[in-house]
Amino acid sequence: MLRQIRILTKLELCNLYGLNVLRFSKDKKSKQKTVGLLMAWAILLAMLIGYVGGLSYGLIYLGLEEAVPAYLITISSLLIFVFGMLKVGSAIFRKEGYDILCAFPLAMGAVAISRLIKIYVEYFLMMLAVLLPGILVYTWNIRPDAGFYLAGLLGIWGIPLIPMAASILMGTLIAGVSSRMRRKSLIAAVLSILAVLGIMYGSLRLSVMDGNIDPEMLKNLSASIMILLKRIYPPAVWLGMAIIRGDVFGAVLCACLSLAVFGAVAAGVVFSFEKISQSLCSSFAKHNYRMGKLKADSLLRSLCKREFRRYFSSSIYVTNTIIGPIMGCVLSGTLLFSGTDTLKEFLPLPVDIDGIVPFVIAGAMCMMTTTATSISMEGKHWWILKSLPLSTKNILDGKILMNLLLLLPFYLLSELLLIFALEPDAGEILWLALIPAVIILFSCVYGITVNLHFPVMEWESEVRIVKQSASSMLGGMGGLILAILCAAAVGLVPKEYTAYLKAGICAAILTATAVLYRLNNREN
Amino acid sequence: MLKIEHLTKHYKGSNKGVSDLSLHIAPGDIYAFIGHNGAGKTTTLKCVAGIQDFDAGAIQIDGNDIRKTPLACKRLFAYIPDNPDLYEYLTGIQYLNFTADIFGIGAWEREERIKEYGEAFEITASLGDLISTYSHGMKQKLALLSAFVHRPKLLILDEPFVGLDPKAAVILKDTMRAICAGGGAIFFSTHVLDVAQKLCNKVAIIKDGTLVASGNMEEIVKQGQSLESIFMEVVEHVEAN
Repeated sequence: MLRQIRILTKLELCNLYGLNVLRFSKDKKSKQKTVGLLMAWAILLAMLIGYVGGLSYGLIYLGLEEAVPAYLITISSLLIFVFGMLKVGSAIFRKEGYDILCAFPLAMGAVAISRLIKIYVEYFLMMLAVLLPGILVYTWNIRPDAGFYLAGLLGIWGIPLIPMAASILMGTLIAGVSSRMRRKSLIAAVLSILAVLGIMYGSLRLSVMDGNIDPEMLKNLSASIMILLKRIYPPAVWLGMAIIRGDVFGAVLCACLSLAVFGAVAAGVVFSFEKISQSLCSSFAKHNYRMGKLKADSLLRSLCKREFRRYFSSSIYVTNTIIGPIMGCVLSGTLLFSGTDTLKEFLPLPVDIDGIVPFVIAGAMCMMTTTATSISMEGKHWWILKSLPLSTKNILDGKILMNLLLLLPFYLLSELLLIFALEPDAGEILWLALIPAVIILFSCVYGITVNLHFPVMEWESEVRIVKQSASSMLGGMGGLILAILCAAAVGLVPKEYTAYLKAGICAAILTATAVLYRLNNREN
Repeated sequence: MLKIEHLTKHYKGSNKGVSDLSLHIAPGDIYAFIGHNGAGKTTTLKCVAGIQDFDAGAIQIDGNDIRKTPLACKRLFAYIPDNPDLYEYLTGIQYLNFTADIFGIGAWEREERIKEYGEAFEITASLGDLISTYSHGMKQKLALLSAFVHRPKLLILDEPFVGLDPKAAVILKDTMRAICAGGGAIFFSTHVLDVAQKLCNKVAIIKDGTLVASGNMEEIVKQGQSLESIFMEVVEHVEAN
């Protein structure tokens, strides 16, 4: 069994972050794509290092150095949980290659364990990316003794285990429930979305509870931060304190506790692996079709229908791209029921919040566009579109139209809620409707542009495309970044000039969209 | 119908590909394309289908250049790869409707054709099921059905008999003959040399990306010989030189 786990883990890890392709591919293009993806990761990493390093420095500057390790552990654990919850289910129970592995004389438990190890390695690296810059800032400023380092070294390996266990539990539950249903992907997507919304609601409740902290406690900010962190994730505080005190026994105990929790969840996964995988791989065939009247559709309608069917066939694709629009509607609803004060609490910015609402909504709607990965998602089926009499424009129009139609109900609902919430005048209604529409249109076209330049057509798991491709990172968030930049520009300009600026922004975005659209259609 | 002139396609960092390949396929031809694994058959077929770009040469389908007027070419042919990876999230009938929509086939016409070929290939009952539930042979049948729905002038097939049951193979052969009798043409790769010899009027043999023999089946395979023995003879002769 151990030998099998070693071999399978080696197989799982050999192409981590596309390194195997980079090492062995003789194709210049695929090498360039892998380098592009690694660079995108490096940029994100640099941003993360800057953020975490700055945050740690800020806490130390305020004399809250005691909270730094616990804060860093909480951030990395939350990141692992959120990323993991949407990913681990399909990463552990992925169908691709399952039949081949079944045919080998392998224990299915070994397959499950090798996949768990791969996920652990990925998240351990993610945790290091969050932890190291902050710890470097901390050690540089505080100069802790050897006990700190020893306790840290013995304790950190356990950090990813509990959030991983929680996300695996949720992912397995979703996979387990959906595997019993006919429409597995759709059920899995709905359950994942409900889980994310539940977490969002929970975190909102937490921040509301925050307001009830005893005013006496606020005198000691460090203590109240620790209380807050303890509410969010107690093991982070236990381990953080053990590391600061150089308590080796405490750190090892924390790590062992994490291992025990993870071990229990992993045992459940190993036990249910074969059953869930087989259910996910099985299919329902009625074999009772009778020819009836058929209906002809126009080219664009037919392409768009196919795009919708593709979209709803993948739970991870749906989950990853629908959360943003849902958040947009939730935000608009919150504004309706709580007024703009709640938004002002969330975004404590020195700008006119009412003026930037359209950008906030647009940013949420475009958080992750479907077009940014729609070409890569064709994968091994790309030959079909390439061999049919379809122009590039036909294919891309279908993808853009699908994304726009998907966002339309969310956009309309959000607009309706905002109109009731903000009670704008005619001029404000124009901006409220136009700005999100223009940014949504841009982000759909921009998503295509990026995916045309960073396509990945050969993949085994949709996770690789939806979560880990350069295109999903660069293309999916184009609209969100644009919305933030525009909001910043509008927020900084005196109120009497904002209408001119908004008009200029809309014109510029529309022009950029038209240019990108033309350039996209020229691609082969 | 199909003119391939000095087709050259090389993959970077690999010595695989096709070099200076020329072939002419006339209306009424059933042209077999044979060669060992990695000889360049699939590369050639993909270039003809406009799926893969090539380094040099020209490909014309019914007078239309595949590079200059790809859409005009693609309206004339149907291509089926060796492993028909079809949209697994669609049902069989949804896939056929999608293909028919792309080619602008009317509702009544598509109904008639799907009925005809669906019954012939015994796949009608499965058309309401998701393609992900299909076996390899059923996918192959569905891919063939989607090709026949728009009545192509040229059929480009990569290993079309793999996975088909004996009855479906017979129907496919009959349909290929019918298409050619109606003025169409078929260009297909195969490893089943016996079928190629009986079915085709022309044959081309490719070795390491280079065409080593081509022409009428009767001229290449003399009486009393088999295509298999000729293939081995030609390949060994090339290797010896």
